[in-house]
Amino acid sequence: MDVFFNVHLDPMKHGLNPGQMRVHSGGILWKKQGGGKAVEVDKADIMKLTWMKVPRTNQLSVRTKDGLYYKFTGFRDQDVTTLSNSFQNYFGISPEEKQLSVSGRNWGEIDLSGNILTFLVGQKQAFEVSLADVSQTQLQGKNDVMLEFHVDDTTGANEKDSLMEMSFHIPNSNTQFVGDENRP
Amino acid sequence: GGTRAATKTTSDMIAYKNVNDLHPPRDLIIQIDQKNEAILLPIHGSMVPFHVATVKTVSSQQDTNRSCYIRIIFNVPGTPFNPHDANSLKNQGAIYLKEVSFRSKDPRHISEVVQVIKNLRRQVVARESARAERAT
Repeated sequence: MDVFFNVHLDPMKHGLNPGQMRVHSGGILWKKQGGGKAVEVDKADIMKLTWMKVPRTNQLSVRTKDGLYYKFTGFRDQDVTTLSNSFQNYFGISPEEKQLSVSGRNWGEIDLSGNILTFLVGQKQAFEVSLADVSQTQLQGKNDVMLEFHVDDTTGANEKDSLMEMSFHIPNSNTQFVGDENRP
Repeated sequence: GGTRAATKTTSDMIAYKNVNDLHPPRDLIIQIDQKNEAILLPIHGSMVPFHVATVKTVSSQQDTNRSCYIRIIFNVPGTPFNPHDANSLKNQGAIYLKEVSFRSKDPRHISEVVQVIKNLRRQVVARESARAERAT
């Protein structure tokens, strides 16, 4: 079993209190320090594990077969190596590695996987949005797709500015979404 | 600055070179990093940088409910940043983020953000057109 302290579960959603993560042969368990929120993912429910370097730390994403998506931060580079070995040993899963784009560009590609839309710049992830948060999509003109988001006042304790709408411009020269522009 | 080639276009401008040049997020609130000419937007729990040169317009609006809205429209092909921008030619086939709007409960913060983005954008546009002029 591997134990890591000072691991944050999606700090923007669940506050800044760190917790303890245990990775054991049966799955992953995270418990908030001092009690409260806990996350338990059984090894049979894990669909995908992903590492990404984010500012000053490493982020582990855990996607489950029933569509849940957890993001944990607070791992040092050496933890990534240790944990990747454990994931292989315990679950038979090799985590994927993603890179974060910080170039600040607004053009790239869209990748859809499950209900997650990823905007990629130069093959690196610029941002993700969950299609579960989208209340409506609209085709505007021939080339623009607008996504409207649910804004829930009860979630996102740290959220002061909330994303309401986002639109993508898909030029005619793009061949990725021919005939399917309404559902990017 | 200084070392950039005169022929550089806005499509070559980048906000950050490395992930660790960004600060870990503290608040999900729109922020401006003047030094890196970047606007940081809270999207799905992360702070996402955009270089100010990608911005076409920014505006805000207030409703009766004490909520206010900020809308940022980005440059997309067909609306070039300046005649020297090879953006749309270089990135054929790309998909563009065209527009984002956010709701905020802090009108003062939003009007400040709009002002700072406008000023920063003006400075960058002026600098880049001066550079493009020198290059011709």
